[in-house]
Amino acid sequence: MYQPPAGARDLLPLDVAQKCWIEQRLQQVFQQWGYHRIITPTLERLDTLLAGGAVEPQTVIQVWDAEEGVLGLRPELTASIARAAVTRMEGATHPQRLYYNANIFRQQPGHASSQHEFYQAGVELLGSSGLLADAEILLLLANCLTELGVQQWHVILGEADLTRSLLRPFPEKVRGAVRQAIAQLDRVGLSHLPLSPELKDHALFLLDLRGEPTQVLQKVAQLPLEPPQHEAVSNLKSLVEVLSNLPSLILDLSLIQTFDYYTGIVFELISDADSGQRVLGQGGRYDQLLGLYHPQNKMIPGIGFSFNVEHLHQVLLTLGKLPKQTPAPHWLVVAETEAAIATAFDHAHQLRQQTAQPSLTRVEVDLSQKSPDDIRTTARQQRIGQIAWVNAHGSVTIESLG
Amino acid sequence: MLTVALPKGALLKDSIRLLQSVGLDFSAFLDASNRQLQIQDPSATAQGLLVRAQDVPVYVEYGQAQIGMVGFDVLQEKKPQVAQIADLGFGQCRMSVAVPSQSPYRSAMELPPNCRVASKFVHCAHDFFGQIDLPVEIIPLYGSVELGPITGMSEAIVDLVSTGRTLKENGLIELDCLYESTARLIAHPLSYRLNQYRLQYWLDEISKASQPLTASSS
Repeated sequence: MYQPPAGARDLLPLDVAQKCWIEQRLQQVFQQWGYHRIITPTLERLDTLLAGGAVEPQTVIQVWDAEEGVLGLRPELTASIARAAVTRMEGATHPQRLYYNANIFRQQPGHASSQHEFYQAGVELLGSSGLLADAEILLLLANCLTELGVQQWHVILGEADLTRSLLRPFPEKVRGAVRQAIAQLDRVGLSHLPLSPELKDHALFLLDLRGEPTQVLQKVAQLPLEPPQHEAVSNLKSLVEVLSNLPSLILDLSLIQTFDYYTGIVFELISDADSGQRVLGQGGRYDQLLGLYHPQNKMIPGIGFSFNVEHLHQVLLTLGKLPKQTPAPHWLVVAETEAAIATAFDHAHQLRQQTAQPSLTRVEVDLSQKSPDDIRTTARQQRIGQIAWVNAHGSVTIESLG
Repeated sequence: MLTVALPKGALLKDSIRLLQSVGLDFSAFLDASNRQLQIQDPSATAQGLLVRAQDVPVYVEYGQAQIGMVGFDVLQEKKPQVAQIADLGFGQCRMSVAVPSQSPYRSAMELPPNCRVASKFVHCAHDFFGQIDLPVEIIPLYGSVELGPITGMSEAIVDLVSTGRTLKENGLIELDCLYESTARLIAHPLSYRLNQYRLQYWLDEISKASQPLTASSS
C-alpha cells in the first residue's frame, strides 16, 4: 500500500472546505485592517531560518541541494518575511502591514510519527514600536476570534525585556539556569540551584508573577525598579487598559523563552478548558530581528502573531461552527440522447453565468447516461437541487428535487 | 473538572494518602475489587485517572490531567513538557548501573567500549554513557532487566534500585548511581499559568501537606 510518510496527512474535500471557512474569515479581517498578503518560498537557506536564534536546527526538515547546500523547509514565516522585507522591500514606507497563510514544517526529535506539516495564518507589523502597534496586534487578534465565533479564550501576556531585566540580579553563572527553570515552570529545579536565600525568594517571586493584570503590576511596582523598567511597567499598564474588553487576560511575567528573540510583549492565545486548552496562536515583539537580516544591520522594529490553523479547526469543530458537508451542486444537466450533448454543455454554461455570483453556482453535467430514475436517485444522494433535462431538439425541462 | 493522574504501582498508596490529607479522596483505587480507571472523589471536586507510571506525564503534558504524581526517573527518561511543582519525598530509589558480581568491573568507566547494556530507561542510559564518553549498545527491555547479564545478552544493566534485594538475589552488584529519584508533583503548564480549577490552590495544598511526609521518610 502507498501511504503518506509518517507525520504527513491528506486533507480531503470536507477538511479543505472547513479549513477554507477559517482562512477566508481570517484573511478578510487581516485585509480590513490594511494588511497585504505576502508569499515567501517554502524552502529557505538553513542560515536564514536559524538567524533569529529561536529555531533549533534539529526541528527543521533539511533538504540537500547540489547548488545551494543545506536548505530547510520553513518551520515558521517570520524569518522569511524579515529577510524579504529588509532586502526586497527596502524602499517601502513604514509601517508595513503584511499577512500570510501558509504551510510550515517541523519535526520533533523523539516523536517520529508526530505531525510534520502544519498551517499557519498570521500577520507581521514592521516599522512601528510602542503601545499603538502592540495594541493593534492584540485587538486584531481579538477581532479575528470574534469573526470566527470563538467567544471563550485566554491571552497570556508577558514582557520578555522586562522579565530579562528582572533576572539581572542573578550571578551570570546561574542566570541561564534560573531563566530556564522559570521558562519551564520548574520549581523543583529552581530550588536545587546554588542560590542565596534572598535570590531563591526572588526567583520564586518571578516564577509566580502572574495573574490578574493590575495585581501583577502592583507586585512589580514594589520592586526596586530602574527608569527603563518603570517605563516598561507603565507601558504594560496602558496596554492592559486598552485591552480591557478581552474575555480573559492573564499578565504573566514568568512567560519567557530560553532564547533572546522577543524584545517586548510576548503572548499566547489559549482556547477554553472545554475545548481542550489548545494554543490557538502566539506572537510577540522582535525589534532586533530585522537588523540581523538587514545588509547594514539597520534596526527596524517588528511585532506579529500567527494562528495555528489546525488547533483553531479542532476548537471550531467542537463548537459546531464549521460546515458539516461539502457544498451541494445546484444543478444537474442531463443530455437525454447523444444528439443533446452539445446543447447540454451549452445550457450548463448558461446556468453558471446566469446568477449574480457565477462563482457560487455549481452546475454538473450528467456523465452516467443511466435511466431517468437512476439519475434522480443519485442526484438526491448528492443533494442536487434541480435537474435540467435536455432533449434531442434542444428543449429543456426543469425538475426540482425537493 | 480538576483531574489528577495517579501512577499504578509503588507510588500509588503514598500518592492517595497525600491527596486524602488535602481532602481529595481517591482511596477507592486501592480497593482490591476496583476495576474502574476513572473515579470522582466523594466531594465531586476532582476526578482521578489511574494510569501506568510512564503515562502520568503524558496525560499531564496533553492537559487531560492538570495534576500528576510520578517518579523523577520517569521525568528524566521522557523529558515531558510539564511544570515540576514539588519534590514529594516518598518513593525514594536510585537509577544505577549494575553488573554480575563475578564480573571484573567495579565502575561503569571500566566497562569495555561497545559493550551491551540492557535497560528500560533507554534515554537515561544513553545520556549517562554519553557523559562518561563510553560508546555502548543499549538493548531496550520492558521488564526483568536483570536477565540481560544473567543470560549473557548484555554486560551490564541500567535500572531502578530501591532496596537492592532484587539485584542481590540475581547475583548482580551496583556500580555507579546515575541519580536519586523521588516522587514529584507535576502540573499542566497552560492550566497552571491560567490557574484553571484553582490549580494554584490545590498545588500549594499538596506541596504543603507533603512536607511532613518528606521529613518522616528521610
